[in-house]
Amino acid sequence: MLHPTDLKELRDAVLDSSGTLGIAGAGTAADWAGPLGPVDAVLDTTGLAGIVVHNPGDMTVAVRAGTPLRQLQEELAPHHQRVSLDAARVAEGATVGGLVATGDAGPCGLAFGSMRDLVIGVTLVLADGTVARSGGHVIKNVAGYDLAKLLHGSYGTLAVIAEVVLRLHPVPEREATLAVSCSLTEAAELARAVLAGPHEAVALEWLGTTPDAGTLLVRLNGTAAAMDARLDRLRPVLPGAVDGDDRWAEHAAIVRGGPGDAVLRIGVRPSKLPGVLTALPARAITAGLGTGIATVVLDAQDVAAAHETVAAAGGTSVLRRRPAGASVPAWGPPPSALKVLRAVKQSLDPAGRLGPGRFDPWM
Amino acid sequence: MPLDGAARRAFEAVLDPQDVLSDPVRCRVYECDGLTGHRVVPELVLLPRTAEQVAAAVRVCAEHEVPFVARGAGTGLSGGALPVADGVVIGLNRLNRILEVDPVDRRAVVEPGVTNLDVTRAVAQYGLYYAPDPSSQQVCTIGGNVAENSGGAHCLKYGFTTNHVLAVEVVLPDGSTVTLGSDTGEQQGPDLRGLFLGSEGTLGIVTKVTVRLLRTPETVRTLLADFPSVAAAGEVVSDVVAAGIVPAAVEMMDALAIEAAEEAVHAGYTIGTPAALVVELDGPAEECGSTFEQVRRICEAHGCTRLHIAGSAEERAAIWRGRKAAFAAVGRISPDYFVQDGVVPRTRLAETLDRIAAMSRSAGLRVANVFHAGDGNLHPLVLYDGAAGETARAEELTSAIAELCVEMGGSLSGEHGIGTDKACSMPKMFSRDDLAVMARVRDAWDPQGICNPGKVLPTPRLCGEPGKYRPHPLEEAGVIERL
Repeated sequence: MLHPTDLKELRDAVLDSSGTLGIAGAGTAADWAGPLGPVDAVLDTTGLAGIVVHNPGDMTVAVRAGTPLRQLQEELAPHHQRVSLDAARVAEGATVGGLVATGDAGPCGLAFGSMRDLVIGVTLVLADGTVARSGGHVIKNVAGYDLAKLLHGSYGTLAVIAEVVLRLHPVPEREATLAVSCSLTEAAELARAVLAGPHEAVALEWLGTTPDAGTLLVRLNGTAAAMDARLDRLRPVLPGAVDGDDRWAEHAAIVRGGPGDAVLRIGVRPSKLPGVLTALPARAITAGLGTGIATVVLDAQDVAAAHETVAAAGGTSVLRRRPAGASVPAWGPPPSALKVLRAVKQSLDPAGRLGPGRFDPWM
Repeated sequence: MPLDGAARRAFEAVLDPQDVLSDPVRCRVYECDGLTGHRVVPELVLLPRTAEQVAAAVRVCAEHEVPFVARGAGTGLSGGALPVADGVVIGLNRLNRILEVDPVDRRAVVEPGVTNLDVTRAVAQYGLYYAPDPSSQQVCTIGGNVAENSGGAHCLKYGFTTNHVLAVEVVLPDGSTVTLGSDTGEQQGPDLRGLFLGSEGTLGIVTKVTVRLLRTPETVRTLLADFPSVAAAGEVVSDVVAAGIVPAAVEMMDALAIEAAEEAVHAGYTIGTPAALVVELDGPAEECGSTFEQVRRICEAHGCTRLHIAGSAEERAAIWRGRKAAFAAVGRISPDYFVQDGVVPRTRLAETLDRIAAMSRSAGLRVANVFHAGDGNLHPLVLYDGAAGETARAEELTSAIAELCVEMGGSLSGEHGIGTDKACSMPKMFSRDDLAVMARVRDAWDPQGICNPGKVLPTPRLCGEPGKYRPHPLEEAGVIERL
């Protein structure tokens, strides 16, 4: 186990070791994607922690990759600023670098996107010890290639993320959620009505254990002065709606899954979501009816077929929890751009040192 | 190496021969983009009509090692579509169909030659719009927007092209076709779509784009406020941001820019005021109204000398007409001008503008400032008279301003791209290793080096051998470390 505490130690750790390397942050996504193959060493990034520089007036923060997002949010809170990402595993200590490397996002991705939409700069270390940066400290910047995007969803296979610069948003004065009991199909209709109106929901998620019965959650962000009036206008669109502020923990619990569960994150066109989800033998579902991104809890033996079902609907899927010891395919049919992915891997990590197995069997 | 006959014949075999232009007079139309100071007449111009023809043409390029440059409307301001000598230009204007509009899933699928504004026009009937709005949106194409990751006045709140493109179909430099991104924007593995967006045509040619559409905001409120100084207007921006308000747009113009714009379009700006701010808020009616009041109070607290609130859609349009006319309008007060596009952290705006004013005085050239104050993206317009021999001095000042932005902790370019124009300034912003890694990524996509060569990354041929290493300004400030 290598445990660097600054950029120089990180680079030296990469240079002084030989053979394959796994990269580990808080370990909250260790069983996501393909299983890490046997490695000669594991590089623990949690020693690379803390804010490098926070510019409240510019609403940007540079932070070392091993910093838990939860901790970063606490440090930003006195400035009424936040990173607008609410992925379920943030509560478990997920690091900023890990959230980028896994391409994670939560319900408010509807309004703010995923980490790719929030990262404005990155410092990375390649397998040959090269330290490089892209982006910068300003939110608007088109100079050079955006290497942070390349690392988003790379699962530690292309480079070690050492530091990221994030754009921040103001913490809304008030967040409020309305909850409606309904089936998935009914929820899709309600979601359509919400999106067609002027409500500007920041999250629109249905959750349930079967498509026939569950709850639609609609979250608004805004000023304290206007929120009650906005909720009053939203209620008639959601007949029977009640206060749902405390329902998000249930949503997060489904996304995280439990022991023995296989969890799949899928994405299809929003209007296709109810059909695809109904066709899957899911034990629990969260469905982002505005984004088309859903999480399903499955038995391990159903994962391979689920990948096929999603691919047939033109969607994407990735394993987000593997039951201990089970052999479960992490990925479905390969994307058309696989050869680009392989070429980039070959160019940045020709010896295949980083993250072996994570994209098995693609590369 | 000039194009050989075999390559010419091969292009004519995969395209309709009338879509292959070789007459130098006709090819001259394509010799430059919006950066008119750089011109190269291409050997051939190819005007494919379908994505398949684009792929076939690129396959010919790969087979014969012919460099190619993709081109949309040619409105780019950084020379990203400058042709390559002995190469071909692939013009995409004929791929201009809107393939699908889906109001339910709020997206459109368009070909790259569709103009930015035509996307919004095609979806407006559903109460939807396409958010990125570069000033050239009436003519610039979505393909060009993808290449440049274009922004616009409203990207402070709504983000850039990269935040609004879910998927792109791309012809790679070997002529094969792939899809990057997906129906949801989710990518299985690394975000190749994100890397491609803003790669300035150096990684492939986009042939189909799936864009996300937004619902037209219920309420839009716009004000135009005059201030006794640029610094006072800058403080308003800071206070608005500190109050937790994210305006849809915040634009600033200085006296010279106001004078030029007002004389050109008579939009109701105050000639002689040192600075004017345009602030626009949008959103649900309840929220927009109270927040707008708050902005008005902040303006008054900073000595606003005149505050005009748009009372109608026409008045709002007039305010924007003044702002968007500013670039072209300086043509009325100066025979020639260069536009710069650097970005500084918002908190260093006033300091940067002071420095630009000092540089302007010592160069003996006027600089008009129009900029996106909310995100620190400056557009200094360096005014000069080429006929009076001021071109070299103006170019020097322009580069110095871009590099000043880097020194302030910002960027060489916020939305116009690096292209040919600023490639040689890249070492001011990035280290040799940073650039080397970018070059490795580029080589992975384009091992033959035929896809828009000479753009974005500095080359010895273009820029001379790299000089002695100088520490990056952020390194000197202790913000980043160089090992």
